[in-house]
This record gives sequence, C-alpha cells and structure tokens, in this order.
Amino acid sequence: MKRGAGVWHAVVAVLCAATVLSTTAQPEASYFATVDLFVVSDTPVAAWQVELTERRGAMQIVGIERGDDSTFRDPPYYDRVAMMRSSTDRIVLASFSLSDAARLQSGRVRIARVHVRMTGAAAADYEARLVAAGTADGRPIDAQLSIETQTER
Amino acid sequence: MVASKAATKCIERIACALLGAAVVLLGACAAYEPSGYPSQAGSAQTGDQGLEEITVTGSRIEGPTGNPRRLEPRERRTALSAVAPADAEPAGRSIAGMQPGGSTLLSQVQPGEELWVIQTSSAVTETEDDEPGSGTMLALVAREPAAPPTEVPLPLRHTDVHAVVTGYISAVDVTQQFENPYDEKIEAVYLFPLPEKAAVNEFVMTIGDRKIRGILREKEEAQRIYEDARAQGYRASLLVQHRPNIFEQKVANIEPGKRIDVNIRYFHTLAYEDGWYSFVFPTVVGPRYNPVGSQSPVAALPRGDVREPAVGTAVRYLRPSERSAHDIGITVDVDAGVEMEELTASHEIATQRDGESRAHVTLAGGNTIPNRDFVLKFRVAGETIKSNLLTYTDARTQEGYFTLLVYPPRTHNDLKRQPLEMVFVVDTSGSMAGEPIGQARDAIKAALTRLDSRDTFQVMNFSSDVRQFASRPVPASSANVERALDYVHRLGGEGGTEMLGGIRAALGFPRDPERTRYVTFLTDGYIGNEAEILGEVQRTIGDARIFSFGVGNSVNRYLLDGLATEGRGTVAYLGLEDSAADVMDYYFERISRPALTDVAIDWNGLAATDVYPARLPDLFPGRPIVVTGKFRGIPGDVGVRGRLGADTVSFDVGAARDSRQPALRSLWARLRIEDLARRQTLTGDANGALADSIRATALEHSLMSAYTSFVAVDATERTAGEHGTTVNQAVPVPAGVRYDTTVSGERGAIAER
Repeated sequence: MKRGAGVWHAVVAVLCAATVLSTTAQPEASYFATVDLFVVSDTPVAAWQVELTERRGAMQIVGIERGDDSTFRDPPYYDRVAMMRSSTDRIVLASFSLSDAARLQSGRVRIARVHVRMTGAAAADYEARLVAAGTADGRPIDAQLSIETQTER
Repeated sequence: MVASKAATKCIERIACALLGAAVVLLGACAAYEPSGYPSQAGSAQTGDQGLEEITVTGSRIEGPTGNPRRLEPRERRTALSAVAPADAEPAGRSIAGMQPGGSTLLSQVQPGEELWVIQTSSAVTETEDDEPGSGTMLALVAREPAAPPTEVPLPLRHTDVHAVVTGYISAVDVTQQFENPYDEKIEAVYLFPLPEKAAVNEFVMTIGDRKIRGILREKEEAQRIYEDARAQGYRASLLVQHRPNIFEQKVANIEPGKRIDVNIRYFHTLAYEDGWYSFVFPTVVGPRYNPVGSQSPVAALPRGDVREPAVGTAVRYLRPSERSAHDIGITVDVDAGVEMEELTASHEIATQRDGESRAHVTLAGGNTIPNRDFVLKFRVAGETIKSNLLTYTDARTQEGYFTLLVYPPRTHNDLKRQPLEMVFVVDTSGSMAGEPIGQARDAIKAALTRLDSRDTFQVMNFSSDVRQFASRPVPASSANVERALDYVHRLGGEGGTEMLGGIRAALGFPRDPERTRYVTFLTDGYIGNEAEILGEVQRTIGDARIFSFGVGNSVNRYLLDGLATEGRGTVAYLGLEDSAADVMDYYFERISRPALTDVAIDWNGLAATDVYPARLPDLFPGRPIVVTGKFRGIPGDVGVRGRLGADTVSFDVGAARDSRQPALRSLWARLRIEDLARRQTLTGDANGALADSIRATALEHSLMSAYTSFVAVDATERTAGEHGTTVNQAVPVPAGVRYDTTVSGERGAIAER
C-alpha cells in the first residue's frame, strides 16, 4: 500500500464457500476459473489489500487482472514472499490509484479478477479477507469484501 | 581486369579440376555435424602441388563442358556457398585471374553475379617464414538478379521498447505484439534476446484492454500450467529463460485476426567507460554453432523447419529472400543526473533535449528492422564521475542493498606498463565470414603494429580446429610483425566454432615468468556451449587476463562479458561500422598504463555481505568496477586499496547516498543468481544446492532465472476448437552475418525430439 500505510485496522473478513457454477462436465485433473473480488463501500476506495486462499489447497494463481475502476491503471501486485511461505497458494494482493477522489468509484466495485487453476474435481472452497482499504488521502475505510467465481468446465 | 578467352578457358579448367578434387575429398570427410553449422567449406591437403590447402566457395559449378551444374543439397552444404556482394563496384564478368587476397576482384563483382573463389588456405598450422605461392583464383558467373524479399506472414508484428535511464540504472518495458495472420488458431513461439544482466521481474499479458499480470513460478510448474491452459483452449503465455540473454515467449490460442500483447519489464545497469554510458538493447539472437555433445544447444534452423531439438532449443531464420512484417520501436528517456555533453547511437535517432541532463530519444523511422543491437551512448561532463556508494533499504525487511562504483584514481598515469605476452585469438568460423572477419583482421593488424619491442606475441585462429602463427610466442620485432600481418591477412571465415580448442590453446601453453599473458579474443560469440567455455576459462585462467572483443552488430554479449569477467579483463565491442584501428587504439591506450591490481574494499565497519563480484577485477584506467552487495547498519566512509606496480594505493569513496531505488534490490538478486550460476558451471552440479539457491533467490525477488518462469492465463473464457498449430517466429540473421554459412540446411542438422 502506497497511501495511508499503517493507518487503519478496519478489517472486514468475508468467508465464502463458493460453489462452482458449472458442474456438468466430466471431472478433469485440473480446471481453470476466475475469482472476482468486490469491495462495497460508500467512500471511494483508492487503495486496498486482500488475502485470498483456498481451503483445500487446490488453488494455483495463474494471473491477476484489475477490476472495473479504470483509474487503477496496472493489474494488482502480489506478495511473492507470502506465496512462497505457504504450502499452497495464499496470495496477498494490493493495488492503488493515483487519481483524484472524484474519479474513483464507490458502492459495489469489482477491484480485481484472480485467474486460478484448480486441481481435483471437488468444489473450490475460497476464503478472502480484506486486509485494508483506504481513501485517496490515506484514511482507512470501513468496507466489505465479497467474491464471485466462474469457471468453464 | 579483363582476361582473354584462352586464359579464361584455361583457368576454367583449372578451377573445375580443383573444384572436382576438393568436392571429392570434402564429400569423403563431410560428416554433417549435429546441431553445428553446416560445413560450407572444407579442405584438402595437396602438398605435392605446393599448396597447403584448397578452399572452395560457391553455389554453382561450371562443368568441364561449360554447362552449369546445380549441386545437390548435401554437396552444397558440405562444400560450397555463394559470395555475391550486392554493393560491389560494377566491372568485368567472366573469368578474372589470380590476385592475392582477391580484393581487386571483389570490387569487380556486380550485383546479381555469383563469385567463385578458389584459394590457397589462410590457415597454416605454423609458419615462421613467408609463405610461398599463396594466392586466390576467382571466377565470376552470371546469374539472375536478386528478387526483392518476399514477405512471409508471421505472428509477431511489432516490438515496442521504452526505457527510462536514471543515472546508470535503466528500467525497460518491452512489449511484444502478437497477431494471428492465419485462418486458424495458433500458438506463437518466439526466441529473443535481452541484455545478459537484465533482471526481469514483471510480466503482463494484454488482451484487448485487459491486462493480466503473470505469476513467477518454478519453471516446470509454470510449463505444466501453460500446457494445461493451452490444451484446454485458454489464452495463455509463458516466458522461459534459455540463457541469461536468450528467452522464449510462447503465446497460446491466438484466434485468427486476434492480437495478444506481452509486456516484460526489467532493470539493468549501464556500462560505463571513459565518460560514456552505454544503453544496449539487443534485437536478434545470432545463429549459434553447437559442438557435438553441447548440453543445451541453440540450433539455427531455416524458417518452416518444424523439427524440435531433443535437447536445448532452436531459432528459426528467414532466408535472405524473405522478410517478415516485424519491426521495432524504441524510446529512451535519459536522466543522467549530471550534464550530458554528447549523445550518439548505433541507429538513426530523433533527440529532444530537456535541460542539460535529460533527453528523450526515439528510434527514427527506416531503422526499425530488428537485426542489430541498438546502442545508445551518452557522455557526461568530464570530471563529474567519481567513485560513489549508493544504498537502498527495504522498509519491510530492513535489509540494505548497495552498489559501489569504484572509479580508477587519476594518479600514476605516467607509469609505463610492464612487458606483455600478447596472444591474439580470432574466431574464423563460418559465422565470421564476410564483414566480421574483415573487421577482426583489421583489428589484429592495428594491434600488431602497436606492440612494444619488449612484448612477445602469438596469433591463433580457430574454427573447426585451431591454427597458430608460430610454435611459441615470438618477440614483437619488425620482421615477426610483418610475417604476422601476412598471416592475419589470409585469415578467412568458414567451418564450425570449436571455441574450446581456442581457449585451451591460448591459456594452455607454458607461461612466461617475465610477462603477464594478455589474451585478446575476437569473436561474434555465436556458440551454444557458453557454460562449457566459461567453465574452462575459470579453471585455466591462472594469472592471465582475457580481453574480449565482440565483432559484429548482434554479438553474444553474455559470452563476451563472461570471458572478460572470468578472465579479469575487459570487454569491448567492434561493430561492423566501427573503425577497427580506433577500437584497438583505445584498447592499447588502456593497457599502456598499469592497472590497479589486488583491489580490495575497506568497509570501515560496515557489515557488507553477499558482495558481487566476489573476486574483484583489475581496475583499468577509465573503466570503473561496480560492486553490489547487502549491508546492515549505517554505512560510513568506504575506502579502496590496491597495487599499482610496486606501490600500494588507497583512496576514499566518500559517504553513502540513499538512492531510494528499489531496483538495487533486484539488481543485487540478479547478480547473486549470476554468481551462483558461475559456481554451478565450475562444479558442474546442475541440480544440487546451488540450483536450490538460485530458485529460492529468484522466487523471493520475483526474477526470471534458469529455474523460474513467468506464466499468465486468461481463465475468463475458452477459445473454440483445438489449440491450433505452433508457429515459430522466424527472425532475420543479424546484419553482416551470412545466412548460408550459419543456418542449417534442410535436413539432418539436429537430433529431433
């Protein structure tokens, strides 16, 4: 987090037992899916940090894409060391925008799409936690996190 | 020169007889070397005719009846090749005659004509005396004028390079634009170069306006993910490192007419020499020669050759009659931090100055064919470069990183150097044929005339084997230099690149206790067994020094830098447009003053660890050394000491300066990986603890390495149908390099997967 680091501790934990949307295909050794991360906040979010894991340990992150707010220019960054220290992929994502507050989005905003590869046929069991969210001037925001997943199997 | 008809027929007969004999002899010994260069020329011992060897070059033979005879592919590959300088002066046709060196005749070749060369060997095993009877016989044969190149559809449309240079650190964004020009889905595969010290730490795949950040993973795991995504129809990309300066990009499931971009970001440091900083961006991998048994060859194959090597990889090359639509755009934003007095480039550029220290540089149109290195040099004001210590502290881990620039003191410049044993080693393989060998010859000739009478010297040349001027180094007397000049004059380019033999020959003979051996190595470095070469230098260098000269416009800088590093010397580059004499003047200017040896750093209580290079090189006038490491604590004044002749010299670097450049961390990690790889080369342990250390360092710092790869998958949607055909992006051979002497023929060149 480049802005407002160390200022806030308002953390909203969201535990999601995600059901894979399509289960009609034959089980595969592996399949690909996307996990969309949404933040709900009345205040425009300028910076955020999220932790994503999969409880069965079947997830591999294969790509990270930014969300709908185009003022976040680059795809979110991830903490390589956090990923290394976990036996399975536990990813810590973060992003920030340098835009004016007026141009930032509020409400329910998709902040990132995580592309994953899952092994095994069982349904994924994701867990996501909003570590921090802040405004353009570095103030912490009380926000909620939710996820949606999609796959084509 | 115009010959009479009688003379013409006479010479034709001689030419045909010699050609016939040569082809028969060559055919007998022309076993095609797996993964090596095609043997374009061979030799035949004909001592009873007073000739040591016959070399035959050409692609068409006039038979005894005068009817042209097209050679079968094998015959051509093993014996013959064409020489037809397109820019030669117009003049005579038909048979020309005898002319030592053939230079006059070469100037008479017209565009569209073929030139046949039958000459005595340039390669004499040992010669202390003048060679009798050497000469060159040339014949000109008319052929059809060359047609304009045909454009072949290939997926890589454009490479865009944007570099930001701050001081001596550059951050470079490379975007490769792939577009499917076919009617069916494809996978694009592209082998390309990056600077050998590039710390690649970011990878983004762009589809439309969506950007997907790639993830760094262990190489095998990344490959599994990519193959899986490709097989399931997802768009995906994979970046693999084959050498520190050769990378492979794969992009899967590009639908017809669709485009996928891949962006790579890296840091690297600029070379500095006598006031000039150099930013280099290589554009094409030169065709490599791979000796039999190479561990990880890089084969050179013609476009359309679908075979995959059983080990290593392959670069596909466009034929001279082909071109692709791939072009390159380069912009460089320079902030030198101090006044920039001058700025030059290898290509035509447009420059916008912004104050004294800044400039915006763009590659001009018409210079966008990616077939030679882009080199941008800028000179900073005379006295502004001093030794200095830059630091960066990672706020999260509290670990400190530094780069220490040690600039030679300006004292003792009037001291004369000690006498030297100069060993010139020149690559005379097929890839050096034409302009490169001409440059190398000129460089050695210039160097020979600058030797001190107290020096001794030797000239060696290697291709498929090693030859040398004399049985041992000889004093640099006028007579010996004259003989050596003649020897060098007759060096040509043909055959394989058995560089290991050249290294062993140059470092292996007994040392002269009175003189330090300086090995001057001139090559394009187009070989596939770099690790073996560098390992040999590590083991045998002793107290000798290696000064490597890269000859050509797209040389293998990883090898050349490695030779200089392992040889504790320096590297220089001799482009085809450069003056060889000037480059050699500069070299002799440098070595004509004593270097600071036994260089050591006095850290003054600073806890410096993991310092690279672990063994500091000599400090030559005008050329600083850069030391990179980690530290803990507060850096104070750092000092440097060393020996200058019989004297001990020491000087202070001054106080450390916080650079606030996170790039220092990546650059340190990249050097650590390089150091670990060096040790791996020396121990030959490819999969032990050193490999684990490289992997861990690369993953921790998110860097490409031999054991880590970037992968990106767009899991949003599958593309329809099978994953399609794999299309290898063919590239032009580098400017000045001949296709026919370097790229394998249509069959038998590689061991297939």
